[in-house]
Amino acid sequence: MSRSAKIFSAIVILLWLVMALAPGLLAPGDPLAINPAQAFQKPGLAHFFGTDESGRDIYTRVIHGAGDSLAIGLAATALGMGLAIVLGTVAALSPRWLDEVILRVLEALYAIPSLLMALLIIAFTGPGVGPAIVAVGLSTAPGYARLVRSQIRSLKNSEMLEATTVLGHSSWLKVRNHLIPNALKPLMALVTLGIGQAVIWAAALSFLGLGTAPPAPEWGAMLSAGRVYLHLAWWMSLFPGLAIVAVAVSATVIGRALGGKVKSL
Amino acid sequence: MQRTSRTSRILAGSFALPLIGALLAGCSSTGTSDSTAQSKAPVTGGTMVYASGDAEPTCLDPHVGGNYPQALVASQYLESLFTKNDKGEIIPWLAESTEVSEDGLTRTITLRDGIKFTDGTKLTAEAIKANVEHLKDPNTASSTGYLAVGKVVRVEAKDELTAVLKLSAPDNALLESLSMPWTAIESPKALERDQSTNCASPVGTGPFKVKSWEHQKAVNLVRNDDYVLPVADTKRTGNTAYLDGITWRFIPEAATRYAALQSGEVDVIDNAQPDTISTAADSGLGHLDAPRPGSSNRIELNSSKAPFDDQRVREAFIRAVDANTGVSSLLFGTAQRSNSLLSSVEPLAYSEESLFTTDTAKANTLLDEAGWSERDEQGFRVKDGKRLSLRFPVSTNQSVPAEQSLFEQFQAQAKAVGFEVKIDLLDLSSWYGALAEHEYNLVSAPYTKVGPSVLRVLYHSDSTVPAPSGYFANNAQVKNEKLDKLLVEAEETNDDAQRASLYEQAQKIVLEGYYVLPLYDQQNHFLYGKNVHGIGATTAVSSPIYFDTFLDQ
Amino acid sequence: MGTIAWAGRKIGGALVVLWLVATAIFIAIRLIPGDPAEAIMGGPGSQASAEALAAARAEYALDQPVFTQYLLYLGKLVTLDFGTSYSLKEPVTKVMGEVLPNTLWLSLLALALAWLLALCFAAAASNSGRFGSWLGSLLEIIAAAVPHFWLGAVLIMLFSSALGWFPAVDNGSAQGLVLPVLTLALPLAGFLTQLMRDSLSEALGSQFALAARARGESRLTLFWRHGLRHAALPALNLTGWAFSSLLSGAVVVEAIFARPGLGRSLLSAVLARDIPMVTGIALFSALVYIVVMALAEGLERIINPAGEQR
Repeated sequence: MSRSAKIFSAIVILLWLVMALAPGLLAPGDPLAINPAQAFQKPGLAHFFGTDESGRDIYTRVIHGAGDSLAIGLAATALGMGLAIVLGTVAALSPRWLDEVILRVLEALYAIPSLLMALLIIAFTGPGVGPAIVAVGLSTAPGYARLVRSQIRSLKNSEMLEATTVLGHSSWLKVRNHLIPNALKPLMALVTLGIGQAVIWAAALSFLGLGTAPPAPEWGAMLSAGRVYLHLAWWMSLFPGLAIVAVAVSATVIGRALGGKVKSL
Repeated sequence: MQRTSRTSRILAGSFALPLIGALLAGCSSTGTSDSTAQSKAPVTGGTMVYASGDAEPTCLDPHVGGNYPQALVASQYLESLFTKNDKGEIIPWLAESTEVSEDGLTRTITLRDGIKFTDGTKLTAEAIKANVEHLKDPNTASSTGYLAVGKVVRVEAKDELTAVLKLSAPDNALLESLSMPWTAIESPKALERDQSTNCASPVGTGPFKVKSWEHQKAVNLVRNDDYVLPVADTKRTGNTAYLDGITWRFIPEAATRYAALQSGEVDVIDNAQPDTISTAADSGLGHLDAPRPGSSNRIELNSSKAPFDDQRVREAFIRAVDANTGVSSLLFGTAQRSNSLLSSVEPLAYSEESLFTTDTAKANTLLDEAGWSERDEQGFRVKDGKRLSLRFPVSTNQSVPAEQSLFEQFQAQAKAVGFEVKIDLLDLSSWYGALAEHEYNLVSAPYTKVGPSVLRVLYHSDSTVPAPSGYFANNAQVKNEKLDKLLVEAEETNDDAQRASLYEQAQKIVLEGYYVLPLYDQQNHFLYGKNVHGIGATTAVSSPIYFDTFLDQ
Repeated sequence: MGTIAWAGRKIGGALVVLWLVATAIFIAIRLIPGDPAEAIMGGPGSQASAEALAAARAEYALDQPVFTQYLLYLGKLVTLDFGTSYSLKEPVTKVMGEVLPNTLWLSLLALALAWLLALCFAAAASNSGRFGSWLGSLLEIIAAAVPHFWLGAVLIMLFSSALGWFPAVDNGSAQGLVLPVLTLALPLAGFLTQLMRDSLSEALGSQFALAARARGESRLTLFWRHGLRHAALPALNLTGWAFSSLLSGAVVVEAIFARPGLGRSLLSAVLARDIPMVTGIALFSALVYIVVMALAEGLERIINPAGEQR
């Protein structure tokens, strides 16, 4: 990992953290404050990113939306990954029949289109942040799990592991010191993409009218509200869209950086 | 930014029936329609592409279920016994004349001679009998039409063209009910087919007929070459529609629909967004504004449970929000603020502006008086440890984005006086579920019906009793004996002046009880391309008819 | 393992997976609140009488014990009978048959375009300098990060409203496919390129590749003859996933471009609680996924016969 990537990653993480934990530092305004007289203002000095249909400041909303949007992305990915590591590891290390059973279950989960799964979960629970997280988490878990399993299986028989066995390490140590870190490496790329994808997913649910409740400044909901006014007020959907893309891009860059670290373990 | 709208309401003609006489002249009063349309000689030929923003109906027969998207398409191939003229009066259409007995329990309808359904069957009294029975058959699963003919016990065919309707109680709204597409007359022979067949190809007497229905793609309508215009029209050359046919498409995304209109891929769109309407004139597009009859678009306050069981709290909410500013800025001047329970196209609509003016000081006083005097750390009012919290389920099917934004503004404004409003955006099934479970304090559920009898559907205490599905129409949960009596009497009287007076008293009770926050008429905007002429005629429920419409060749 | 034995195992596994999917959908749908009889009798807000609802329950065997319903359901599935759509009152297979070709074409074209773009990108990246590579990876990350519904709306704004090059809505012509295919393909291409580039740079940096370079093979030849094979494998592995993700994408894209298709059917079926439609589409897409996975695996056996088989 290059030095510049490291610096970039550090700055970006810091920035996202500030936006998520203390948005008031960057945008002291109230993201929910309406002012119908100031609706559809173009981006300018008074409103960096312009205003929306109710005269709310989009810059303020984008900054304050980071918390919600990132939390959805992180929570969903954590849920999916947690499930995946458990299932994938168990499958890889268990007897053949159990491995087969888990594999088929994973494949079945995988075979149901993720959006359908999300729609079913939301039909059951009603829309909201929680269901969106569960929906995205569950539908990404099988993919991660298969990767975990195949990584661990291929490593189980690899030379490195044989070498450690010769050296007399206990099997738990094998799992901890070699299997998990090595299985994690290719996962990192997927996970970091996953965080960005989870944010986009939540946005797609908002597009279908099934996302977070108004007036929360969640990016997906803002993007979805803005598309109605695309030819009148492009800034309403551009800036939340850029925020989503920015998260996905920086998550990927950071993930690659982390991937390098895992390799060097 | 262009915020001023040059569009104006089609005068009278939007809700009347300019089929009779008005035609080209009557349909040109949209502020945005090009003036050449009036002088242009009609040309026969061409297929018009129509793009609807509504969900595709699951059945093209508006007897089944009975919603507005069905009415929009069915208005092209089905006709009703009665309709409205350009003065808003009910006039016979497929019917030739009608009379009612002294006791109001027998309604005789004489049909026009020589009218045929597109399957060749003749329009007779037996057809009326078959249609009413079809509406009342539980297997049809009709809701709107079923309610409209609720008082009709049976139909007798006295002779070939005379149908006698026996009623359980006098019903002065019956002719209005029979003017709606949901009670339109279909071929009795076609109704005998199984429901899925009839849903795919209903057979009527209209200027077009259903040729085919490719699910999700289009309903293909073609001209009915044997059409007979029930009421002769001197200005009309030829008796059949100018268009060869209509391709009826469904394009749910507002931005796509508008883009397709701009690029000429489609000729007419419905559910036009307010901001696009306001700039339509600059792009040379025509605009038809045809507000729906029946109720206005309004928010109902559930008075059956706390905190809205206290009238002071209801008034406080209504005084706290500023609908005027929101309506004008979000709707770009395409809709007028309403202060009535009824649509502005209803002659008996009663308005009372002073009840709905914004007054936050008064809202605060009322809430203090009602015992909601303390506030928690987030600024919301509390009483006995409970927060002043309101649930507001919003249907993403029924409330357009601009309306959802308006509700968000209300949410912010109500917060200022200490209300917590929780908006839930729900799909239609979940939304009906929330209403059936009484999980709402506020709700917006417009209801389209011709005439003031919609008030009985919406505010009579009988309408608080749920149907087996859990559905009830009285969302404000108004239970008032005096009001019930007024609504029943108003529907049974045969004196027009008394009817008007009774309905006015009834409307006053609901308005002054702060059960409802009126917003604007049910919006019904259409945009059409430069090449389209002769748009403006509508049915009694304001759904356009494209009988007079023609395209530049 | 022999090819016949391999195919036998695949088919057995596929049947188990289909059964699991069918069961999962059955359970999931019964958990959703609301009375299916209402969905049959006119959908939300219907005013069906109690008798009509009871009749509907009897007709669709909804009054039977749940386990009996489950067995009836499986029995019908075995004979490929998905039942009658609640809302359209037509056989599910017929409704699906009508719209299926649209979605299939859309997805196949999008998948093909995504692969083509990914290959070109990966090739370009492996042959470009530091800045080009950096720009390339930025572009692919951005492409993977753009939500479908936003991309679709922007493409319509640009190519339909402003430039008038392509129609915004489906009109049956090939031109009408351009924007929806692009909308589906771009994010997927971004995703595939990222996966390919990682393995590509490893493959091209390997001892083997260095040796080949030393023998005088050009970088481009090396890319096509050796690198690609390694780079394509992980992406190929994900093609089954990609295809099934295209159906999710189709839900959004078909709504934006007003195209008839399975995605649109699925959305309206879920919203109308049309259980037979939802089940039919879910099982069908599971089947497609399984078939595509098997094909990808077969292809993998051809590309990389020496590779470790599971």
